[in-house]
Order: sequence, then C-alpha cells, then structure tokens
Amino acid sequence: MHRKALLKAVSIVAILACSALISSTGFAANKVLKIGFVGVTSGPAAAWGISNVRSMQTRAKWINETGGVKIGDTTYDVEIVTFDDQKDPKRAIAGMEKMAQEGIHYVVGPNVDDGAAAVRPVAERNGIIYFPYAFPKELYTKPASNAVLGMVASYQSGPAIYKYLKETKGVKSIAFVSANESDPLSQREGGIAAAKALGLDVVSSNVTFQVDTIDFTPVLTPVMRTKPDLLVLSGVSPANAPQLIRSARELGFQGLISTETAQDATVLKEGAGDLANGFISVGGASTPEISSDMMAEFVDRYTKMFGEYNDESNTKVYALEYILETLKVNPAAITDVEEFKKTMDTFEVANPYMKGDAKLKYVGTTSFGQKRQLMVPLVVNVYKDGKFETLFVAEVD
Amino acid sequence: MNTFKINQLIGVAIFLFSVFVAVPYAIAASGRWDFYYTLTSVALLSIASAGVWLTFYIGRINIGQGAFALIGGYVSAILVTKAGLSFWLTLPLAGLFCAFIAVLIGLPILRLRGVYFAMVTLVLTEVSRLTMLALPITNGAKGIVSIPLPGALSIFGLTLIPDFSMLKNDKLAFYYVACVLMVICFAGMYRLVNSRFGHLCRSLQQNEELASSIGVNIAYLRIVVFAISSFLGGIGGAMFVAISQSIYPSSFQVSDSINFMLNCFLGGLGYVFGPMLGTLTLYFGWSLLFELGKYQLLIYSSLLIFLMLVLPNGLLSIRFSKMKGVQK
Amino acid sequence: MEQVIVNALYLGSQYAMIALGLTLIFALMNVLNFAHGQMYVLGGFVTYTIYGRLGFPFIVALLGTAVTLAIVGALIEYFLFRPVIRRSVREESTMLLAAGIAFLLDAVILLVFGEKQRGVPKILDGVFNWDFRIILPYDRILVCVLAIMSIAGFIAFMQFTKTGRALRAFAQDRVAAELMGVNVDRYSMIGFALGAMLAGLVGGLLVTITGVNLGMGGPVSIKAFMMVMIGGAGVISGAIAGGFILGALEAVGLAVLSQYGDITYLLIFASLMVFLSFRPQGLMGKPWG
Repeated sequence: MHRKALLKAVSIVAILACSALISSTGFAANKVLKIGFVGVTSGPAAAWGISNVRSMQTRAKWINETGGVKIGDTTYDVEIVTFDDQKDPKRAIAGMEKMAQEGIHYVVGPNVDDGAAAVRPVAERNGIIYFPYAFPKELYTKPASNAVLGMVASYQSGPAIYKYLKETKGVKSIAFVSANESDPLSQREGGIAAAKALGLDVVSSNVTFQVDTIDFTPVLTPVMRTKPDLLVLSGVSPANAPQLIRSARELGFQGLISTETAQDATVLKEGAGDLANGFISVGGASTPEISSDMMAEFVDRYTKMFGEYNDESNTKVYALEYILETLKVNPAAITDVEEFKKTMDTFEVANPYMKGDAKLKYVGTTSFGQKRQLMVPLVVNVYKDGKFETLFVAEVD
Repeated sequence: MNTFKINQLIGVAIFLFSVFVAVPYAIAASGRWDFYYTLTSVALLSIASAGVWLTFYIGRINIGQGAFALIGGYVSAILVTKAGLSFWLTLPLAGLFCAFIAVLIGLPILRLRGVYFAMVTLVLTEVSRLTMLALPITNGAKGIVSIPLPGALSIFGLTLIPDFSMLKNDKLAFYYVACVLMVICFAGMYRLVNSRFGHLCRSLQQNEELASSIGVNIAYLRIVVFAISSFLGGIGGAMFVAISQSIYPSSFQVSDSINFMLNCFLGGLGYVFGPMLGTLTLYFGWSLLFELGKYQLLIYSSLLIFLMLVLPNGLLSIRFSKMKGVQK
Repeated sequence: MEQVIVNALYLGSQYAMIALGLTLIFALMNVLNFAHGQMYVLGGFVTYTIYGRLGFPFIVALLGTAVTLAIVGALIEYFLFRPVIRRSVREESTMLLAAGIAFLLDAVILLVFGEKQRGVPKILDGVFNWDFRIILPYDRILVCVLAIMSIAGFIAFMQFTKTGRALRAFAQDRVAAELMGVNVDRYSMIGFALGAMLAGLVGGLLVTITGVNLGMGGPVSIKAFMMVMIGGAGVISGAIAGGFILGALEAVGLAVLSQYGDITYLLIFASLMVFLSFRPQGLMGKPWG
C-alpha cells in the first residue's frame, strides 16, 4: 500500500513536470528576444507578481501571434523568462543572476522595496536595466542608473489626489492607516509629508496593523474617533483594502477613503459590496472613458488566457511596451543598455492604450533628477457598483 | 571512531578540493556564472543553519535564527555606514553582538522546552522585525541601502583580502569568503560535537534532569550553545548584507527562520554535516526547478514530502544508516 | 470600553476555534501542524465556491466545508503523517513534513483558486448600534454566535461521546490508552480530521466577513501557535483561553496603544515572551509540553 502511494505521487509529479515542459516550449520561427521578470508569484504575496507576469505573458503571446516585433532589420518573438523570488530579497538576487546568465538585459521587477534594493549591485554589474515596482528614491537617483520606476510613485500620486480632493470636495483633515511593513510605512511617510505641504490637518498618522489581521474594527476604532474628512490606506494590498473599507463604513465613517495603490474591482465588489462605493484608487487606462481599442483587446486576451482579468494589470501593461518601443527606436540597445539609457532621454511615441494623443516617454526629472521613470498616465479612479470610473487624469514629470 | 580516520581525511580532502577547485573550474567550463551566487547563498545559509542544528543538539527546536541573522546584518550595516568601520571588523562584531543578545534572551527562555521554546523563538523573529522597523538607528521602514562593498584587509602591509570594489569578479571573491567561513564553521562544529563539551550537550538532549543530577551545569551549557548558535546566525546575516549592499527589516523574516530549521531536518538531525546538505538541497532545489514556471512550488513541495516519506530521518541517514557512528 | 470588550469577544471566538484544531492535533500526535493555516484558507475557498459561486445556502456550504476538510485531514494523516511518525527517530521531524504539506497546499490553492482575494455577499445586512457605544454589524454577531456554538458542540462531543472519551484518553496518555484497547491508528485519523475540520470551519465562517486569500495561511498558523502557547500546548481548555486572551490583548492593545502606532504588536509579542519565561507551560499546560 505504502509503496503504491509513493509510486502514485511520483507519477503525478512526473506527469505535471512533462506537461509544464511541453507548455513552455512553443514554436519559434523568428529569433527570440528574451525579457525577464523577477518577482513574487507564489506564496502569500503572489497576487502582486502574478498580475504583473500575466500581463507580460498576454502581451508577448499577442505580439508573437501577430508575427512578432520588428526591431531594426530583425523580427523577434518575445519570450518572457520568469523567476519567482518568493518575496525574499536573497532569492531576488539569485533571480537577477539567472537573468544575467540567460543573457537578458531588460528585467521587469522586483515588486517590493527590499528586493529592488538587493538586486541593484547585480543589475549594475551585468548591464541589466530593471523596472521595479518599488518606490525608494535611492534606486533612481544618481549614482544609480539602471533602475527605471515602472509606475507612478505614491509620493507623486498622493499629492495629486489630496490636492484634487481638497479643492473639489473640501477635504480639510486627513488620517493615515498602514500595515506595519516596510513598503506601506514608507508610503505613509510620503503621504504625511505631502498632506502637510498642502496644509491639510493630519489628525491620525500612526495607527498600523499586522498583515494577518482578520478583524479591522479594533484597528480603525481609534482612527474613527478623530473624524477625518479623508482616510488614506497607505500602500494597502488588494487583499486588505475591502476589509478596511468595510470596517470603516460599518463603524459609521462618512468621509472619503483613498489609496495610492492599484486595486481590483471584483475584489472590492466581493469583499465590501456597496460599501466600497466612492473608494478612490490609482489605476491604469482601462476605464471606458479613456481606454483605447488596444486596451480593450488586451483585457480580452488576458481574460481568455487566464480566465479572469485583474485590474491591477492595468498599470502593469506598460513596462514591456516601453522596453520594446525603445528598442525599436534604437536597435543597438538590444545588447547594450548604455544605448538604451541614451535613447531614454529623447524617446517619445504615442501611447497605444489610451484614447487621444497621450505619449509614452521617460520622466522623473523632478523626483529623481534624471529620466528614470515610465510615463504611466496617473489615472485616479473611483469605485462605483462593481466598476471603476475615472475621476481625473494627471501626468508626472 | 579511529578506524574511520583515513576515510575521513580522504573525505575532507575531496570536499575541500571540490569546493575550492572543482566547482570554480566546472563553473568556468560550463559558463554558468549564476551558480556562484546560489552556492554562496547555500554556504552562508548553511552557516546559520549550523547554529540551529547546534540548538537541536541540546534538544531545543530553534525557529528564531532569522532574528539573529537580521540583527547581525543590521549591526554590520550600521557600523559600516555610520561608524565607517571596515566590513571585516564588523563581521565578528556582528556575531559577538548576536551572541550577547542571545545570552540576555537565552537566560529566561532557555528554561522552556519542546514546542514552547520553538514558539518563543518564532515570536522572537517577529519581535526583531518590528524592533528594526521602530528603532531610529536602523532607519526604520526605509532600510539601509547603498552599503559599500567590503574594503581591503591587510595586516602589517600584507594584503590578505583585496578591496572588493576593485575586483573584476567579486562573485568569485564572495564565493571563496563564504566557503572559507563555512569550512571553518563546520570544522569547529565537528570539533565541538566530538569534544567533552559535545558529549555533555548530548546528555542534555536525552535527559536534562539526569544530566543535572550527575553534576552537569546545564544552565551554563545551554547559554553557551545558544550564544554560539546566534553568533553563527549573525555572521551569516552580516555576509548577506555585504552581498546585497542593503538591508531591510524584511531581509530575514519568519519564513527564513523556518527554512533554517527545515534545512536541519532535511539534512538529518543526527549528523553534523546535515545542515549543509539540507541547505544545498532545499535552496539549490528551488533554483533548479526554476524552469517549471508556475508548477515550481507544487513540484518542489511534492518532492519535499516524498523525501520525507522515504527518508524521515534526513538525507544523511541513507549513507550512515548502517554505521552507528554519530547517530544519537 | 464596551466596544473593546465586544471586539475582544468577537476576535476571541474566532481565535479559540482556530487554536482548538491545532491543539487537538498536537495533543494526539505531538505534531506541530504548520499546515493548519493553509487548511483554514482551504476551508475559506471551499465555502466561497459552494456559497459564493454555486449559490447554495450558507449552511450547506459550511457543512460541505466541514466534510471536505475532514476528508483532507484524514487523508493527510493516513498517507503522510502515519508512515513518517512510525519511522522517524525524532518526532520533531514531522515539522518538516508539516511544512512541506503547507507549501503543497499553498501551491494547490494557488493553481485551483487563483491569487486574488475572494469574498462572498454579506449573509446579513445591517449594523447593531447601541448609542455609538457598541457598534457591531449583525453578520459579525451571527458569526460569533456560530463560532461559540461550534466550540460548545466540540466540547460536548469530547465530553459525552465514546469517540470523544477515547480521544481524551489518548491525548492524556497514549500508552495507557493503547493498553486499554483504544485503537490508536483510528483515533489519530479521527483527531486529525477533526482538527482540520475545525480550521476549515473558521475559514468558512470568516469568509463572509474578512474574505479569504492565499496569503493568510502562514500568518494564521503562527497566530494559532501563539494562542496554543498562551493556554498551554495540547490542552483543550487552554486553547480556548489562549484564543480569548490573544483576542483581548489585541483589542485592548490597539485601543490603548494606538497613538504609539508601530509598537503595539511589538509590545504584545514581547509581553508574550515575558509571560512564557515566567510560566513556561502556559496557563494550563502540562510542564514541558
């Protein structure tokens, strides 16, 4: 019996391994351009990396199906090489080494501050440009030069949101809540500074919670006593957001709630229902008001490929697009990241995911002193009955 | 034991040769440069795991090594960036500071046994993370970044270790340093376990009351072992900081503490070299399964369970099962 | 003040139920089940699927969850823990197995249920509000009552049924129970199934309030460990006490220390360590677990 069970286990593993190998080997008529991804795709924080890697895989498959991408005189198929770092900075280094080994020069990720800081030495030594979704300014200001911020930083979107709410909704007092982890705490610091600069009254700023909290009522009770006009959930993960919103509303909170991170409408709908109406978050260009046909097709393809779309991916379609478009402008950059850096200063093409004449270009001069950020449109959304609606669109410089 | 002397010598020679000559040669030949970092990690993690193994040796389940690795890392980072000390000086200081903390904490908590000790140490990991977030000197949530690479180490004008930032291939340098530390660590462990001190420790593992009744100073023994264990954790943590040139409160967390413990289990609790083999299997195994994409974790965990079913006493039990030797 | 007490009660009832399952497994088999939190998550997802997706009544979903998790628990005990316990030299080795199972469940849950946070429609609308002194949504009250009823049911089962008595005898003294004719293998399996079922039930109950996601497993396990330690490992009453105490500690700590922010949990954890150094066997545990 015992041996039988073992045999069964082994054969299952073998079958899975084979199927995995088969699914990963595609047909390749064109030359292959490898783009890396180092981030977390398993374990507790899997949601962050998965929405990221899936949007890359969707786009890559789409490009390959339509004949590949033409860079210079050669047409390439795009292959996404993923490495799961399990949100461990030590493994993230191993992942970056692996990318260097594969001869990859452009890597998306890591998803968190500690990982992004840890891979810096490896990336710089091996000539890799990486696109972290992490906000520490040290990564993007000189002497660092190989990291390009892949999204709008909280210290950029926060002030824009607060200013808008101050001017249009008459917000005067503001309160912050965050998880007691590095990334959310850093984002809270940035938020507090921005609020103070705008002359808002910060009534509560030091309430924190453990990420494993299963009841947010005790966490929010003291915050609610200060009766803020705006409650900011700094760096909140999509998993915690609906619970926080629900607890705040059930405690009788009437003011506005906002965050600077991207959220998913389905998650909000399931977790908080109507209570989430009016919740303000940052998103990509997927609301019907501004999204182009290409964005709609992307969502469609993503949904077909993985069964369900994740709105967090809206902000994450851009990195791969930027890499490929920049390479098209300067084919020499395929193997030489210094060429890429030169091109970054002047690069400008149309943004295919947005209606109108929005552009793709590198920005960040104000925040970092050099162009080390993707110009992702700062789309501020408000949740309403299971969907996001665009509140306003801004640009980062 | 004496009858194995020659075999053992040959074994040690083969091991040293493969670590310091064969592996670099193989890597150069195959061009898999990324293995250097993976193997460096294995060496460093196995040092920390060796500390955990030592606490197992006195019958304590230690799930707190992540705390000491984190403390060690921060001590080194702070001394290098704020006090401007040479990294090579901070390395032993980090270990000693951890040993000191271990004595302070160990005095009350080493009275606990079994799962209680395990749980207290697990909580300790979380406490250390939260402390690092809260203390002003650690720079809180922002972490310490842009830590310089280790500088040169010279005694009387003789350069023992060159400046890492001047080296063309610092991966290799880190690999050698990590391996030297690992070899020293495990040689020391082997010596310790086979000394009178080690025999006394073993008596603790079996029955503390009995050991105490025949005049073994168990309180002293426990503290010393826990201090050595934490010293090793601190060294491992400090080395990692030198490689990643940054440290955050989340650099070592609960999952690391648990992994250190699992390394010991997988290698085999009865064997000094268990933690080394366990770390190699667990850490390297994950990297090797990298090709499997989204099935990586599934297959990794299935293999782990399978190994456990076949070899419930650790990997090394397969080789030594017929020799009574070091087994308890 | 009233609000703090109510918060503590609500949290405590959830925590106690989580801790019960863990302590039961520990008492019977001396296994520290690292996969306990993953079973909780699995329970949450099963309830989500039956109630949220397939649209069956909530109570059916809970029953379905209980049965599913009991089966999962029994299978894990039979195929994995039993052979390993029989052959390992040191019983702590099962911790590696438990951790392996935790990884495996994580991987399976990710592949089957996806990475997203999941939630279900509220089972009851409305909020109980007593003059802003006590604010508690009705669904929380219902979940709290259900949790306390499950705990009561579990205690009654352990006290008054033959199986329950056998389990208690087994937990008290394995050898003696075996000599008295208790079938150890059978009751290990029943105990493990019960423990898994309890974890799954809490997951199922809480999915209506906090939702469920893949990442909750590990942290829930660790919380459960802490409660078990406070009350004393392997003691049923201890687990219940531990659950309510941790619930109270969090509710009070968050209310009193909120202005100090980041250090609330630091203090809770540190005081736990101090408490255990003075009382190494927890509140009600046997010395040296």
